[in-house]
Amino acid sequence: MIQHLFTLIWNRRQANFLLVTEIFLAFVVLFIVSSMLVYNRQTYQAPLGFDYEQVWTVDLDNGSTTQTSAQIVSTEQQILQRLQSLPGVRYAALTGSNTPFSNNHNSSNLRREPKGEGPNGNIYRVSEDMRDVLRLPIRAGRWLDKRDQAGARIAVVISEETQTALFPGQSAVGQIFYAGERECQVVGVTGPFRGDGDLSEPKPSFFAYANPQDTTLSNLSRLLVRVSPDAGAALEKQMSTEIMAIGKGWTSSIAPLAEQRATMLQVGLAPLVALGLVCVFLIINVALGLFGVLWQTIQQRRAEIGVRRAMGATAGAISGQILGEILVVATFGLALGLLVAVQLPLLGVFNVKTSVYLTAMLLAAGLIYALSTVCALYPSWLAAGIHPAVALREE
Amino acid sequence: MLLSYLKIAWKVLLRRKFFTAISLFGISFTLMILLVVAALYDHTVGPHTPEKRVDRMLFITRMRLWAPGSQSNSNVGYSFLDRYVRTLRMPEKVAIATTDGGSVVAYVGNQKLKLDMRATDGEFWQVLDFEFVAGRPYSVREVREAAHVAVINETTSRRYFGTVQGVIGRSLEADAMRYRVVGVVRDVPTTRHNSYSDLWIPITASTVNLKNPNYMGECIAIVLARRPADVAAVQEEFRRVVRQVPVQDPKMFTEVRVYAEPLLTSILRELTEEDGPDAGVGRFVGLTAGLSLLFMLLPALNLVNLNVSRMLERSSEIGVRKAFGATNGTLVGQFLVENVFLTVLGGVLGLALAAGVLSLLNGSGLIDYAHFALNGRVFGVGLAAVLFFGMLSGVYPAYKMSKLPAVQALKGGTNA
Repeated sequence: MIQHLFTLIWNRRQANFLLVTEIFLAFVVLFIVSSMLVYNRQTYQAPLGFDYEQVWTVDLDNGSTTQTSAQIVSTEQQILQRLQSLPGVRYAALTGSNTPFSNNHNSSNLRREPKGEGPNGNIYRVSEDMRDVLRLPIRAGRWLDKRDQAGARIAVVISEETQTALFPGQSAVGQIFYAGERECQVVGVTGPFRGDGDLSEPKPSFFAYANPQDTTLSNLSRLLVRVSPDAGAALEKQMSTEIMAIGKGWTSSIAPLAEQRATMLQVGLAPLVALGLVCVFLIINVALGLFGVLWQTIQQRRAEIGVRRAMGATAGAISGQILGEILVVATFGLALGLLVAVQLPLLGVFNVKTSVYLTAMLLAAGLIYALSTVCALYPSWLAAGIHPAVALREE
Repeated sequence: MLLSYLKIAWKVLLRRKFFTAISLFGISFTLMILLVVAALYDHTVGPHTPEKRVDRMLFITRMRLWAPGSQSNSNVGYSFLDRYVRTLRMPEKVAIATTDGGSVVAYVGNQKLKLDMRATDGEFWQVLDFEFVAGRPYSVREVREAAHVAVINETTSRRYFGTVQGVIGRSLEADAMRYRVVGVVRDVPTTRHNSYSDLWIPITASTVNLKNPNYMGECIAIVLARRPADVAAVQEEFRRVVRQVPVQDPKMFTEVRVYAEPLLTSILRELTEEDGPDAGVGRFVGLTAGLSLLFMLLPALNLVNLNVSRMLERSSEIGVRKAFGATNGTLVGQFLVENVFLTVLGGVLGLALAAGVLSLLNGSGLIDYAHFALNGRVFGVGLAAVLFFGMLSGVYPAYKMSKLPAVQALKGGTNA
């Protein structure tokens, strides 16, 4: 039966060529869009690794004054202490401009040896209180503290991804690795950490201790502040007034992390939504077209169907044939489409896991079959209703 | 002749309303999407307030210090622009301003207002054509005297003062600095990132260090050529000047790469961070054309399928016409005209749909101060797309129709 259907379609390949091409294109579109959706859904569901609610970023600007690095650092320390003493502020920590959801990056090659190549990792320079500000978990070892001021190497706490990338299957605490030119010693391991936002790929990252004695700290000009749940504009105004009072010519801009996350997510999702809408439109278009073509075909094949009915075929057999034919056409289109789609994981153009592509292929193929079945239902029902006496007399 | 073709087309459309509706749905949505994309593009790089004379403008936005294997890039320092761009002989005027991204905080009672601020020189207001609701821009003299004056946009005026009427002369406090408002302008969408802001102040009254000799900094320049035809000559003059510019740190870098470019090129350059002389405009145009062609292909194929399967309805008509001596060419012509007629109908629908989507986008607040609209240029793009689409989807069915053998067609049979 199935073989017979294939022969039927193959014999009419010229007439069915356009339909096959259309299904092929529809499959390719569905495949591309569903791989993007599957990929982004996977990254979205992975844990961020920190708590961003009730955390504010305070971006300090020293107004390009003539202060020396040492003066800038001491002003920053004063600001940090003053903010910590405000009621409503739980914890405050100093860090670089690459705060979570900021779209700023500071990264280096990570290696076990002093020279060579390694995976790229994000570096977050933080002062001691960052653990409490972001509520970072400690999986092994300890968090950064005063003891780390003395060491010759930079004390770091690495994320779970760094542990897997650099020290698979062994304890990382006490180990040494290199980030660019810097020599780092692991004192602790935290959970997974994705500071680049909900839609970012998991990537190795680590927290390096920002030594308060170090004058290169003047490069660090942001604070992350955990505030109490009832804090509002009043506290924000107070903070910005205090900062201007401590540093002459200094200004600040304050924004909640949750807001920055929402903005980042919106910016990341907008193109996906637009793409999804365009895809839905294309698919509706294809479905309507398929429906129209099938309907028209039934009108033209009344005589043939009438003969089959007269020879004793049941209504079920007729609608089964119509449905089967369109599914075979869809299979031809799919086979072509799969040939194209399989190139992506084979060539590995994008750095995406094969499982994503496989899920997308299954999804797209399922949708195409569902679509063709739905479109064929009404025409096949029409065909089954053809009365042999009427159809044959038309000839 | 044409009129009778159109009449036939109209009758055919009315005969099977369901099929006509399917075809129109496909055509109008395809064109709607193309029109919306065209409108977004036009909104970003077309001549709009305040960059009305964009065909005469060149933008200098990025400074790259380059050596094989090491690059550093940023916006341009004020002193570099003042020394090497302001002194160019070809341009009519040069405006210097800070980039977007700087923001200040103002408080209205207990409420915080975050305002984007741009510091500019006086020429900024002569190069760009802002629409003033009230007041005036600050003058070159006020900039020289570092007056604490400001121009604000309508939204800021409404949010800070509660009104746009009578705010001229009142003072606005932002980041603990007081500015006297001298003008209120209509909102500029954020997509115009070389001119957009909430608050504009004289660059001399800002925190920008004008004496800093570093080539890298936080400024951009907008160069206005005398005529559109002069743009290339201005670019050439600037290229010559840049070739003479000494590298500040010859140990680290060997080359200063800075370009004066039209709006589209400069936006592409910022997106791709390309630092060679070619910003990839050709590639961009090719890619866009290819993608829109691919996008049109599926609906066009759909229409082809529908047309081919409906063709047999009309086989007796074709047979009669052929029997009376109509050539294949005439028939192909007739069916193409019919198909283009159908796509034009769909195009009109698409135009209406696009207008609806754009006003939805304007209301959504996805882009601040956006006022997307259809205009002559976008309409032109739409018309071209309609004709192209009509041809794309009409040629094959018309060819197949004309190939029907007359005898068989008269009998109403098929050979498909």
